[in-house]
Amino acid sequence: MSVERCEAPPRRRALARGGGVVAGVFLACAVVSAVVASGLTAQEAVPGIPMPGLLVAYGLPVVRVVLDLAAVAVVGMSLLPKLLGFEHPERTEPVMRRVRPLTVTAAWVWAASALLTIVFQTAELNPGSVPTPAMIAGYVDSVGTGQGLLFSAACALAAAGIGLMAVRFGEKVPAELRIVVALFGLLPIPVTGHAVNSVWHDPIMISMESHVMGAAAWAGGLAAVTVFVAPRRELLAVVLPRFSRIATVCLLVVSLSGLVTGLGTMALTPGVELPGAILTSEYGLLVVAKLALAALLVPLAAHIRFRLLPAIRGGAATAVVAWATAELAVMGLAYGVAVAITRASIG
Amino acid sequence: MRRLLTVLLLASAAVGISLPARAHNVLISSDPKDGAALSAAPALITLVFDQAVRQGYAQVGVTGPDGAAMADGAASVAAEKVTLKVKPLTAAGAYIVGYRILSADGHPVTGKITFRLTGPAAAAPETAPRTAAQTAPGTAAASDDADSARAAEAAANGGAGMAVVWIVAALLLLAAGTGVALRRARPAETGPGTNADAPGETGPADASSADAARESGPGGEGRA
Repeated sequence: MSVERCEAPPRRRALARGGGVVAGVFLACAVVSAVVASGLTAQEAVPGIPMPGLLVAYGLPVVRVVLDLAAVAVVGMSLLPKLLGFEHPERTEPVMRRVRPLTVTAAWVWAASALLTIVFQTAELNPGSVPTPAMIAGYVDSVGTGQGLLFSAACALAAAGIGLMAVRFGEKVPAELRIVVALFGLLPIPVTGHAVNSVWHDPIMISMESHVMGAAAWAGGLAAVTVFVAPRRELLAVVLPRFSRIATVCLLVVSLSGLVTGLGTMALTPGVELPGAILTSEYGLLVVAKLALAALLVPLAAHIRFRLLPAIRGGAATAVVAWATAELAVMGLAYGVAVAITRASIG
Repeated sequence: MRRLLTVLLLASAAVGISLPARAHNVLISSDPKDGAALSAAPALITLVFDQAVRQGYAQVGVTGPDGAAMADGAASVAAEKVTLKVKPLTAAGAYIVGYRILSADGHPVTGKITFRLTGPAAAAPETAPRTAAQTAPGTAAASDDADSARAAEAAANGGAGMAVVWIVAALLLLAAGTGVALRRARPAETGPGTNADAPGETGPADASSADAARESGPGGEGRA
């Protein structure tokens, strides 16, 4: 015990730095891609209509992508106790002691950015003026997006509260509860995107819900495993096979629901001719971009799954962190495009 | 775990169905039509979308060939129609109608249509009776429509009342979660004897991991 204590500080600092690099790559890719994709697909100014200023035009996608990533972080870190298992607390507790406070912080960031998104969206609808509390209340009152974001913020605060209890009481706070509350906060997120007006509304909403939750579990789980578990080889040998099964399901769910939602939304929008509109409309091009990113994920994920996993199971050292970071970078790009796609014009 | 996931999926299905998200509005027609060449000046611009436009937030502007704003007052929304009165258009040339409306799914949608006025300015008196006849019933119907549309929209959205319901539901969820967590926490603290009847796979491990957590203090070494 005392020997471990002596060695711990420098090793832990190195681990924290490595984790910071992985998370930083994910965040940077997402923010850059959100700003670029939103900038390219921004609605053109039309004569005679005041448009929102630069702060809103670029601030909104950034705040929105921070909201998404904070939610992904909360979901991923909430999944971690399930992935680690509860059989060997002496090995998993050091990891969870770092993860629990960070979960609370990420949940606060999620709640704050959801509320900030409401303010920015109010500003977007009232160009040329700083939003007042009355304007924000009016926005939340009349627009479903505002109510959805408010609900998401409430769930994030609930996740923060439960996270604090987990900090205090450890794994006696059920892991399932933390996962469910975090995923519940994701449910209203699709309301902030597009929807269609037809009998297919409900199936497409459910498809969008599974898309959002699948993506969060996949990206969040991978990030949490890479940052917190990958430096501990003996834990990774147990955790990565478990995560790999979840990731396979997520890959299928996310790509299938993404295709259904994207193509379905376009097919059901009046005035959109399907095969052609994929390459002519901004929405279609963004769907193609996300499809390309998903296709790029497949070889990266397959390499980890089929080449590296057998060695990791045996406890050997591998370049899994580098490969996972590359995968996370692509996921970050996809999240950025996702922010733009919720706002792009379909027709 | 599996049972919880099932509950979650069912909940998401229920929420997905009940959520008030609707589609992105698309301009399907307009009067005057996009690119039309008119010999007589219109007094009223009508934009028709594929579905109801949100009340409030709708902006329509008309810019004349000399860059002057020709709108007379603000745009009025009646279900899927957005109408705007324009000042008498005297100059021949290209006019641009720009619009920015709040789509049913909560997104601002911008766009523009253009039309050309080819007729001479003298056309104004000739159009006067025609436009008067056109606007009088039009606006009356529009205000009726607007009232019913506002009521329908409030009903569909639930307004602020819905937001309060959501928040209360979230707080109840939090309270229930807290209760469950504390109930699970208590038997583990009283000793291993009572722990045996704690259901599920996590019971005994929970106790020992919690002990380990207590040993080193709550999150004390969080991010050293």
